[in-house]
Amino acid sequence: MPHLAVNNLRAKYGALEVLKGVSFSIEKGQVVALVGPSGSGKSTVLRTLVGLTPVTGGNVTIHDDKIDYASSGSLRRARDQMAIVFQQYNLFQNMRIIDNVTVAPVKIKKRPKDEARADAERLLAMVGLADKLNAFPDQLSGGQQQRVAIARALALHPEILLLDEVTSALDPELVNEVLDSIRQLAKDGMTMILVSHEMAFVREVADKVVFMDGGSVVEEGLPEVLFDAPKTDRAREFFGKILRH
Amino acid sequence: MNYNFQYGVVWDNFGALMEGAWLTFQLGVFAFAGGILIGLLCASIKTYGPWPLRLLVDTYVVFITNTPALIQIYFLYFGLPELGVRWSNEACVLIGLVLNAGAYLTMILRAGFLSVRKNELEAGLTLGFSVVQQIRYIIVPHIAKAVYPALANFFIVVLVMGTSVGALIGVDELTGQAINLSSINYRWLEYFSVVAVIYVVLTFVASVGLALLGRWAFRVRVRIF
Repeated sequence: MPHLAVNNLRAKYGALEVLKGVSFSIEKGQVVALVGPSGSGKSTVLRTLVGLTPVTGGNVTIHDDKIDYASSGSLRRARDQMAIVFQQYNLFQNMRIIDNVTVAPVKIKKRPKDEARADAERLLAMVGLADKLNAFPDQLSGGQQQRVAIARALALHPEILLLDEVTSALDPELVNEVLDSIRQLAKDGMTMILVSHEMAFVREVADKVVFMDGGSVVEEGLPEVLFDAPKTDRAREFFGKILRH
Repeated sequence: MNYNFQYGVVWDNFGALMEGAWLTFQLGVFAFAGGILIGLLCASIKTYGPWPLRLLVDTYVVFITNTPALIQIYFLYFGLPELGVRWSNEACVLIGLVLNAGAYLTMILRAGFLSVRKNELEAGLTLGFSVVQQIRYIIVPHIAKAVYPALANFFIVVLVMGTSVGALIGVDELTGQAINLSSINYRWLEYFSVVAVIYVVLTFVASVGLALLGRWAFRVRVRIF
Protein backbone atom coordinates (compact mmCIF):
# COMPACT_ATOMS: atom_id res chain seq x y z
CA MET A 1 0.00 0.00 0.00
CA PRO A 2 1.54 3.31 -1.03
CA HIS A 3 1.91 6.09 1.51
CA LEU A 4 0.24 8.53 -0.81
CA ALA A 5 -1.39 7.92 -4.16
CA VAL A 6 -2.59 10.45 -6.69
CA ASN A 7 -5.18 8.97 -9.03
CA ASN A 8 -6.18 10.67 -12.25
CA LEU A 9 -6.06 14.08 -10.55
CA ARG A 10 -7.60 17.01 -12.40
CA ALA A 11 -7.55 20.74 -11.63
CA LYS A 12 -8.50 23.95 -13.40
CA TYR A 13 -7.58 27.62 -13.12
CA GLY A 14 -10.74 29.19 -14.50
CA ALA A 15 -11.33 27.58 -17.86
CA LEU A 16 -7.75 26.39 -18.21
CA GLU A 17 -7.27 22.76 -17.31
CA VAL A 18 -3.82 22.61 -15.70
CA LEU A 19 -3.95 19.01 -14.51
CA LYS A 20 -5.42 16.57 -17.01
CA GLY A 21 -5.44 13.38 -15.03
CA VAL A 22 -2.20 12.99 -13.08
CA SER A 23 -1.38 9.70 -11.38
CA PHE A 24 1.64 8.61 -9.34
CA SER A 25 2.28 7.14 -5.95
CA ILE A 26 4.91 7.33 -3.26
CA GLU A 27 5.97 4.73 -0.69
CA LYS A 28 6.77 5.53 2.91
CA GLY A 29 10.25 7.03 3.25
CA GLN A 30 10.59 7.62 -0.47
CA VAL A 31 11.55 10.82 -2.21
CA VAL A 32 9.63 11.51 -5.41
CA ALA A 33 10.68 14.36 -7.67
CA LEU A 34 8.27 16.06 -10.06
CA VAL A 35 10.17 17.52 -12.98
CA GLY A 36 9.21 19.08 -16.26
CA PRO A 37 9.01 22.39 -18.11
CA SER A 38 7.39 25.50 -16.63
CA GLY A 39 3.63 25.36 -16.81
CA SER A 40 3.55 21.56 -16.83
CA GLY A 41 1.50 21.51 -13.62
CA LYS A 42 4.15 20.31 -11.13
CA SER A 43 3.51 23.02 -8.57
CA THR A 44 -0.22 22.71 -9.10
CA VAL A 45 -0.02 19.06 -8.05
CA LEU A 46 1.45 20.11 -4.70
CA ARG A 47 -1.01 22.98 -4.27
CA THR A 48 -3.86 20.61 -5.02
CA LEU A 49 -2.63 18.06 -2.49
CA VAL A 50 -2.87 20.61 0.35
CA GLY A 51 -6.15 22.06 -0.87
CA LEU A 52 -4.93 25.44 -2.14
CA THR A 53 -6.11 24.67 -5.67
CA PRO A 54 -9.50 22.95 -5.97
CA VAL A 55 -9.65 19.41 -7.29
CA THR A 56 -12.00 18.99 -10.24
CA GLY A 57 -11.55 15.28 -10.76
CA GLY A 58 -9.74 12.15 -9.59
CA ASN A 59 -8.65 11.65 -6.01
CA VAL A 60 -5.79 11.50 -3.54
CA THR A 61 -5.36 8.80 -0.92
CA ILE A 62 -3.11 8.68 2.11
CA HIS A 63 -2.69 5.13 3.45
CA ASP A 64 -5.64 4.20 1.23
CA ASP A 65 -7.82 6.84 2.90
CA LYS A 66 -9.45 9.06 0.33
CA ILE A 67 -9.16 12.79 1.05
CA ASP A 68 -12.45 14.62 0.61
CA TYR A 69 -11.38 18.15 -0.28
CA ALA A 70 -14.96 19.39 0.05
CA SER A 71 -15.09 18.43 3.72
CA SER A 72 -13.25 20.73 6.10
CA GLY A 73 -12.63 17.86 8.55
CA SER A 74 -11.09 15.65 5.91
CA LEU A 75 -9.04 18.55 4.56
CA ARG A 76 -7.80 19.35 8.06
CA ARG A 77 -6.68 15.74 8.55
CA ALA A 78 -4.91 15.84 5.18
CA ARG A 79 -3.14 19.08 6.11
CA ASP A 80 -2.13 17.47 9.40
CA GLN A 81 -0.34 14.77 7.48
CA MET A 82 1.25 16.97 4.83
CA ALA A 83 3.27 20.14 5.11
CA ILE A 84 4.32 22.32 2.20
CA VAL A 85 7.33 24.58 1.74
CA PHE A 86 6.88 27.31 -0.86
CA GLN A 87 9.20 28.78 -3.45
CA GLN A 88 8.89 32.23 -1.85
CA TYR A 89 9.22 30.86 1.75
CA ASN A 90 5.95 32.64 2.76
CA LEU A 91 7.15 33.29 6.29
CA PHE A 92 5.04 35.42 8.60
CA GLN A 93 6.87 38.74 8.34
CA ASN A 94 5.46 40.09 11.60
CA MET A 95 6.75 37.21 13.72
CA ARG A 96 10.19 36.35 15.02
CA ILE A 97 11.81 33.22 13.61
CA ILE A 98 11.02 31.18 16.70
CA ASP A 99 7.38 32.30 16.59
CA ASN A 100 7.09 31.46 12.91
CA VAL A 101 7.99 27.90 13.86
CA THR A 102 5.96 27.60 17.07
CA VAL A 103 2.78 29.45 16.12
CA ALA A 104 1.06 26.52 14.43
CA PRO A 105 1.99 23.86 17.04
CA VAL A 106 0.95 26.13 19.91
CA LYS A 107 -2.11 27.86 18.50
CA ILE A 108 -3.49 25.11 16.31
CA LYS A 109 -2.22 21.86 17.78
CA LYS A 110 -2.51 23.28 21.32
CA ARG A 111 0.83 21.82 22.31
CA PRO A 112 2.44 23.18 25.50
CA LYS A 113 4.53 26.27 24.84
CA ASP A 114 7.86 25.06 26.26
CA GLU A 115 7.56 21.73 24.49
CA ALA A 116 6.86 23.45 21.14
CA ARG A 117 9.70 25.87 21.76
CA ALA A 118 12.19 23.13 22.56
CA ASP A 119 11.09 21.29 19.44
CA ALA A 120 11.44 24.45 17.34
CA GLU A 121 14.91 25.14 18.71
CA ARG A 122 15.95 21.59 17.81
CA LEU A 123 14.58 21.96 14.26
CA LEU A 124 16.19 25.36 13.76
CA ALA A 125 19.48 23.96 14.99
CA MET A 126 19.10 21.12 12.50
CA VAL A 127 18.81 23.59 9.62
CA GLY A 128 21.74 25.58 11.04
CA LEU A 129 19.86 28.56 12.42
CA ALA A 130 20.19 28.10 16.17
CA ASP A 131 21.51 31.66 16.48
CA LYS A 132 18.61 33.35 14.66
CA LEU A 133 15.71 32.53 16.98
CA ASN A 134 14.85 36.15 17.74
CA ALA A 135 15.48 37.63 14.31
CA PHE A 136 12.69 38.67 12.00
CA PRO A 137 12.36 37.17 8.50
CA ASP A 138 13.45 40.35 6.72
CA GLN A 139 16.74 40.25 8.62
CA LEU A 140 17.67 36.89 7.07
CA SER A 141 18.99 35.93 3.65
CA GLY A 142 16.75 34.03 1.26
CA GLY A 143 18.49 30.75 2.01
CA GLN A 144 18.09 31.26 5.74
CA GLN A 145 14.42 32.15 5.32
CA GLN A 146 13.87 29.03 3.26
CA ARG A 147 15.46 26.91 5.97
CA VAL A 148 13.14 28.53 8.52
CA ALA A 149 10.23 27.61 6.26
CA ILE A 150 11.43 24.00 6.26
CA ALA A 151 11.69 24.03 10.07
CA ARG A 152 8.20 25.55 10.29
CA ALA A 153 6.79 22.80 8.10
CA LEU A 154 8.54 20.10 10.14
CA ALA A 155 7.32 21.52 13.44
CA LEU A 156 3.90 20.02 12.77
CA HIS A 157 5.53 16.60 12.40
CA PRO A 158 4.05 15.90 9.00
CA GLU A 159 4.28 12.43 7.52
CA ILE A 160 4.85 13.85 4.09
CA LEU A 161 6.80 16.97 3.19
CA LEU A 162 6.02 18.82 -0.03
CA LEU A 163 8.76 21.06 -1.41
CA ASP A 164 7.72 23.45 -4.17
CA GLU A 165 10.80 24.69 -6.06
CA VAL A 166 12.34 25.64 -2.76
CA THR A 167 15.63 26.77 -4.26
CA SER A 168 14.35 28.57 -7.36
CA ALA A 169 14.22 32.00 -5.71
CA LEU A 170 17.67 31.73 -4.15
CA ASP A 171 21.08 33.03 -5.12
CA PRO A 172 23.20 30.17 -6.46
CA GLU A 173 25.47 30.44 -3.44
CA LEU A 174 22.57 29.89 -1.05
CA VAL A 175 21.11 26.88 -2.82
CA ASN A 176 23.42 24.37 -1.24
CA GLU A 177 22.61 25.24 2.35
CA VAL A 178 18.95 24.47 1.63
CA LEU A 179 19.74 21.32 -0.31
CA ASP A 180 21.86 20.13 2.61
CA SER A 181 18.85 20.38 4.90
CA ILE A 182 16.73 18.40 2.47
CA ARG A 183 19.47 15.79 2.03
CA GLN A 184 19.50 15.32 5.78
CA LEU A 185 15.73 14.80 5.84
CA ALA A 186 15.95 12.24 3.04
CA LYS A 187 18.59 10.40 5.03
CA ASP A 188 16.29 10.43 8.07
CA GLY A 189 13.61 8.69 6.04
CA MET A 190 11.18 11.56 5.51
CA THR A 191 8.60 10.93 2.80
CA MET A 192 8.98 13.85 0.39
CA ILE A 193 7.52 15.04 -2.87
CA LEU A 194 9.64 17.74 -4.40
CA VAL A 195 9.29 19.92 -7.43
CA SER A 196 12.74 20.94 -8.55
CA HIS A 197 14.86 22.14 -11.42
CA GLU A 198 18.07 21.05 -9.68
CA MET A 199 18.58 17.93 -11.76
CA ALA A 200 21.85 16.88 -10.16
CA PHE A 201 20.20 17.07 -6.77
CA VAL A 202 17.13 15.17 -7.97
CA ARG A 203 19.34 12.43 -9.33
CA GLU A 204 21.10 12.22 -5.98
CA VAL A 205 18.13 12.14 -3.57
CA ALA A 206 15.09 10.99 -5.55
CA ASP A 207 13.93 7.38 -5.50
CA LYS A 208 11.57 8.09 -8.33
CA VAL A 209 11.24 10.85 -10.90
CA VAL A 210 7.89 11.80 -12.40
CA PHE A 211 8.24 13.75 -15.65
CA MET A 212 5.29 15.98 -16.43
CA ASP A 213 4.35 18.03 -19.45
CA GLY A 214 1.16 19.90 -20.31
CA GLY A 215 -0.69 18.79 -17.20
CA SER A 216 -0.05 15.06 -17.58
CA VAL A 217 2.58 12.56 -16.51
CA VAL A 218 4.62 11.66 -19.54
CA GLU A 219 6.98 9.15 -17.99
CA GLU A 220 8.13 8.04 -14.57
CA GLY A 221 10.94 5.89 -13.29
CA LEU A 222 14.28 5.74 -11.51
CA PRO A 223 16.29 8.93 -11.94
CA GLU A 224 19.16 7.27 -13.76
CA VAL A 225 16.80 5.52 -16.16
CA LEU A 226 14.71 8.61 -16.86
CA PHE A 227 17.68 10.94 -17.20
CA ASP A 228 19.94 8.69 -19.24
CA ALA A 229 17.58 6.47 -21.20
CA PRO A 230 14.09 7.95 -21.37
CA LYS A 231 11.56 5.93 -23.34
CA THR A 232 9.39 8.78 -24.60
CA ASP A 233 10.42 11.35 -27.18
CA ARG A 234 9.21 14.26 -25.04
CA ALA A 235 11.33 13.17 -22.08
CA ARG A 236 14.31 12.57 -24.34
CA GLU A 237 13.95 16.08 -25.76
CA PHE A 238 13.55 17.68 -22.30
CA PHE A 239 16.39 15.88 -20.55
CA GLY A 240 18.55 16.13 -23.64
CA LYS A 241 18.21 19.91 -23.52
CA ILE A 242 18.78 20.46 -19.82
CA LEU A 243 21.34 17.79 -19.01
CA ARG A 244 23.67 18.78 -21.82
CA HIS A 245 25.05 21.70 -19.81
CA MET B 1 6.93 97.79 20.09
CA ASN B 2 5.70 98.78 23.45
CA TYR B 3 3.81 95.78 24.70
CA ASN B 4 3.93 94.85 28.33
CA PHE B 5 3.68 91.06 28.67
CA GLN B 6 1.70 90.03 31.72
CA TYR B 7 1.66 86.31 32.20
CA GLY B 8 0.40 86.48 35.80
CA VAL B 9 -3.23 86.32 34.75
CA VAL B 10 -2.52 83.25 32.62
CA TRP B 11 -0.93 81.40 35.53
CA ASP B 12 -3.89 82.34 37.70
CA ASN B 13 -6.13 80.55 35.22
CA PHE B 14 -3.72 77.78 34.30
CA GLY B 15 -5.98 75.19 35.92
CA ALA B 16 -8.81 76.13 33.60
CA LEU B 17 -6.49 75.83 30.59
CA MET B 18 -5.43 72.38 31.75
CA GLU B 19 -9.08 71.37 32.02
CA GLY B 20 -9.42 72.48 28.42
CA ALA B 21 -6.35 70.48 27.46
CA TRP B 22 -7.78 67.41 29.15
CA LEU B 23 -11.05 67.80 27.22
CA THR B 24 -9.05 68.24 24.01
CA PHE B 25 -7.20 65.02 24.74
CA GLN B 26 -10.39 63.10 25.48
CA LEU B 27 -12.12 64.41 22.36
CA GLY B 28 -9.08 63.45 20.30
CA VAL B 29 -8.90 59.92 21.72
CA PHE B 30 -12.62 59.19 21.45
CA ALA B 31 -12.91 60.73 17.98
CA PHE B 32 -9.99 58.65 16.82
CA ALA B 33 -11.26 55.44 18.44
CA GLY B 34 -14.72 55.91 16.94
CA GLY B 35 -13.15 56.74 13.60
CA ILE B 36 -11.11 53.53 13.72
CA LEU B 37 -14.27 51.46 14.20
CA ILE B 38 -15.98 53.17 11.27
CA GLY B 39 -12.80 52.98 9.22
CA LEU B 40 -12.37 49.23 9.85
CA LEU B 41 -15.97 48.55 8.92
CA CYS B 42 -15.88 50.70 5.78
CA ALA B 43 -12.46 49.45 4.68
CA SER B 44 -13.64 45.82 5.02
CA ILE B 45 -16.72 46.69 2.99
CA LYS B 46 -14.62 48.39 0.33
CA THR B 47 -12.32 45.39 0.13
CA TYR B 48 -14.72 42.49 0.46
CA GLY B 49 -18.27 43.90 0.29
CA PRO B 50 -20.93 43.84 -2.45
CA TRP B 51 -21.09 46.81 -4.82
CA PRO B 52 -24.15 48.64 -3.38
CA LEU B 53 -22.44 48.82 0.01
CA ARG B 54 -19.18 49.82 -1.62
CA LEU B 55 -20.99 52.64 -3.39
CA LEU B 56 -22.44 53.79 -0.07
CA VAL B 57 -18.98 53.85 1.51
CA ASP B 58 -17.54 55.72 -1.47
CA THR B 59 -20.26 58.34 -1.21
CA TYR B 60 -19.61 58.80 2.50
CA VAL B 61 -15.86 59.11 1.99
CA VAL B 62 -16.22 61.56 -0.91
CA PHE B 63 -18.62 63.82 0.98
CA ILE B 64 -16.64 63.89 4.20
CA THR B 65 -13.16 64.26 2.78
CA ASN B 66 -14.19 66.98 0.36
CA THR B 67 -15.98 69.26 2.82
CA PRO B 68 -14.49 71.15 5.79
CA ALA B 69 -14.89 69.57 9.23
CA LEU B 70 -16.33 72.89 10.41
CA ILE B 71 -19.20 72.63 7.92
CA GLN B 72 -19.92 69.07 9.05
CA ILE B 73 -20.05 70.10 12.69
CA TYR B 74 -22.15 73.19 11.93
CA PHE B 75 -24.51 70.92 10.05
CA LEU B 76 -24.95 68.78 13.15
CA TYR B 77 -25.15 71.70 15.58
CA PHE B 78 -27.17 74.29 13.64
CA GLY B 79 -28.73 72.19 10.91
CA LEU B 80 -30.12 69.11 12.65
CA PRO B 81 -32.12 71.04 15.31
CA GLU B 82 -34.24 72.35 12.43
CA LEU B 83 -35.23 68.73 11.90
CA GLY B 84 -35.89 68.26 15.59
CA VAL B 85 -32.61 66.52 16.39
CA ARG B 86 -30.87 68.41 19.14
CA TRP B 87 -27.53 67.30 20.55
CA SER B 88 -25.29 69.10 23.03
CA ASN B 89 -22.35 71.02 21.63
CA GLU B 90 -19.88 68.43 22.97
CA ALA B 91 -21.86 65.61 21.36
CA CYS B 92 -21.95 67.47 18.04
CA VAL B 93 -18.20 67.96 18.05
CA LEU B 94 -17.52 64.38 19.01
CA ILE B 95 -19.96 62.86 16.49
CA GLY B 96 -18.74 65.25 13.80
CA LEU B 97 -15.12 64.35 14.47
CA VAL B 98 -15.87 60.62 14.54
CA LEU B 99 -17.64 60.83 11.16
CA ASN B 100 -14.83 62.95 9.79
CA ALA B 101 -12.03 60.72 11.09
CA GLY B 102 -13.93 57.62 9.95
CA ALA B 103 -13.76 58.73 6.32
CA TYR B 104 -10.03 59.45 6.37
CA LEU B 105 -9.31 56.29 8.32
CA THR B 106 -11.30 54.28 5.78
CA MET B 107 -8.80 55.34 3.15
CA ILE B 108 -5.79 54.72 5.38
CA LEU B 109 -6.96 51.27 6.50
CA ARG B 110 -8.01 50.32 2.99
CA ALA B 111 -4.38 50.66 1.94
CA GLY B 112 -3.52 48.25 4.74
CA PHE B 113 -6.11 45.70 3.64
CA LEU B 114 -4.68 45.75 0.13
CA SER B 115 -1.17 45.11 1.39
CA VAL B 116 -1.86 41.74 3.04
CA ARG B 117 0.33 39.20 1.29
CA LYS B 118 -1.55 36.33 -0.26
CA ASN B 119 1.38 33.99 0.23
CA GLU B 120 1.30 34.38 4.02
CA LEU B 121 -2.40 33.55 3.99
CA GLU B 122 -1.68 30.41 1.95
CA ALA B 123 1.04 29.40 4.38
CA GLY B 124 -1.43 29.94 7.24
CA LEU B 125 -4.08 27.83 5.51
CA THR B 126 -1.77 24.90 4.93
CA LEU B 127 -0.55 25.07 8.53
CA GLY B 128 -4.19 24.63 9.55
CA PHE B 129 -5.21 28.16 10.59
CA SER B 130 -8.95 28.81 10.70
CA VAL B 131 -10.35 32.01 9.23
CA VAL B 132 -10.47 33.63 12.66
CA GLN B 133 -6.89 32.59 13.37
CA GLN B 134 -5.83 33.98 9.99
CA ILE B 135 -7.36 37.33 10.92
CA ARG B 136 -5.95 37.29 14.44
CA TYR B 137 -2.39 36.17 13.69
CA ILE B 138 -1.73 37.26 10.11
CA ILE B 139 -4.12 39.87 8.75
CA VAL B 140 -4.53 42.25 11.70
CA PRO B 141 -0.81 42.39 12.65
CA HIS B 142 0.01 42.92 9.02
CA ILE B 143 -2.45 45.77 8.53
CA ALA B 144 -1.46 47.32 11.84
CA LYS B 145 2.17 47.36 10.83
CA ALA B 146 1.52 48.64 7.33
CA VAL B 147 -0.64 51.59 8.33
CA TYR B 148 0.63 52.40 11.82
CA PRO B 149 2.74 55.45 10.87
CA ALA B 150 -0.15 56.93 8.89
CA LEU B 151 -2.52 56.25 11.80
CA ALA B 152 -0.18 57.88 14.28
CA ASN B 153 0.13 60.99 12.12
CA PHE B 154 -3.60 61.16 11.66
CA PHE B 155 -4.19 60.95 15.41
CA ILE B 156 -2.14 64.13 15.81
CA VAL B 157 -4.21 65.82 13.12
CA VAL B 158 -7.43 64.92 14.95
CA LEU B 159 -5.99 65.88 18.31
CA VAL B 160 -4.84 69.36 17.29
CA MET B 161 -6.79 70.49 14.26
CA GLY B 162 -9.94 68.47 14.67
CA THR B 163 -10.77 69.20 18.27
CA SER B 164 -10.09 72.96 18.07
CA VAL B 165 -13.09 73.35 15.77
CA GLY B 166 -15.16 72.75 18.90
CA ALA B 167 -14.32 76.27 20.08
CA LEU B 168 -16.59 77.66 17.37
CA ILE B 169 -19.69 76.07 18.86
CA GLY B 170 -18.78 76.83 22.45
CA VAL B 171 -17.03 73.65 23.55
CA ASP B 172 -14.49 74.53 26.22
CA GLU B 173 -11.63 72.45 24.95
CA LEU B 174 -8.18 74.03 24.97
CA THR B 175 -8.77 76.56 22.19
CA GLY B 176 -12.27 77.36 23.40
CA GLN B 177 -11.06 77.83 26.94
CA ALA B 178 -8.29 80.15 25.74
CA ILE B 179 -10.80 82.25 23.78
CA ASN B 180 -13.11 82.47 26.81
CA LEU B 181 -10.35 83.48 29.20
CA SER B 182 -8.56 85.94 26.99
CA SER B 183 -11.75 87.74 26.06
CA ILE B 184 -12.19 88.56 29.74
CA ASN B 185 -9.00 90.58 30.07
CA TYR B 186 -7.67 90.83 26.50
CA ARG B 187 -4.36 89.04 27.20
CA TRP B 188 -4.58 87.30 23.81
CA LEU B 189 -0.84 87.17 23.21
CA GLU B 190 -0.11 85.69 26.60
CA TYR B 191 -2.92 83.16 26.54
CA PHE B 192 -2.34 81.98 23.01
CA SER B 193 1.42 81.71 23.38
CA VAL B 194 0.90 79.51 26.43
CA VAL B 195 -1.80 77.52 24.63
CA ALA B 196 0.56 76.96 21.71
CA VAL B 197 3.12 75.50 24.11
CA ILE B 198 0.48 73.29 25.72
CA TYR B 199 -0.55 71.98 22.29
CA VAL B 200 3.05 71.20 21.43
CA VAL B 201 3.57 69.41 24.73
CA LEU B 202 0.34 67.49 24.23
CA THR B 203 1.27 66.33 20.74
CA PHE B 204 4.81 65.59 21.86
CA VAL B 205 3.59 63.32 24.64
CA ALA B 206 1.13 61.66 22.27
CA SER B 207 3.78 61.22 19.57
CA VAL B 208 6.32 59.71 21.92
CA GLY B 209 3.67 57.40 23.36
CA LEU B 210 2.55 56.30 19.90
CA ALA B 211 6.10 55.83 18.67
CA LEU B 212 6.96 53.64 21.66
CA LEU B 213 3.74 51.66 21.26
CA GLY B 214 4.48 51.18 17.57
CA ARG B 215 8.01 49.98 18.19
CA TRP B 216 6.93 47.65 20.93
CA ALA B 217 3.78 46.22 19.37
CA PHE B 218 4.37 46.33 15.62
CA ARG B 219 8.09 46.84 15.17
CA VAL B 220 7.59 50.03 13.17
CA ARG B 221 9.74 53.11 13.35
CA VAL B 222 7.54 56.17 13.75
CA ARG B 223 8.83 59.68 13.28
CA ILE B 224 8.23 61.76 16.40
CA PHE B 225 8.54 65.14 14.66
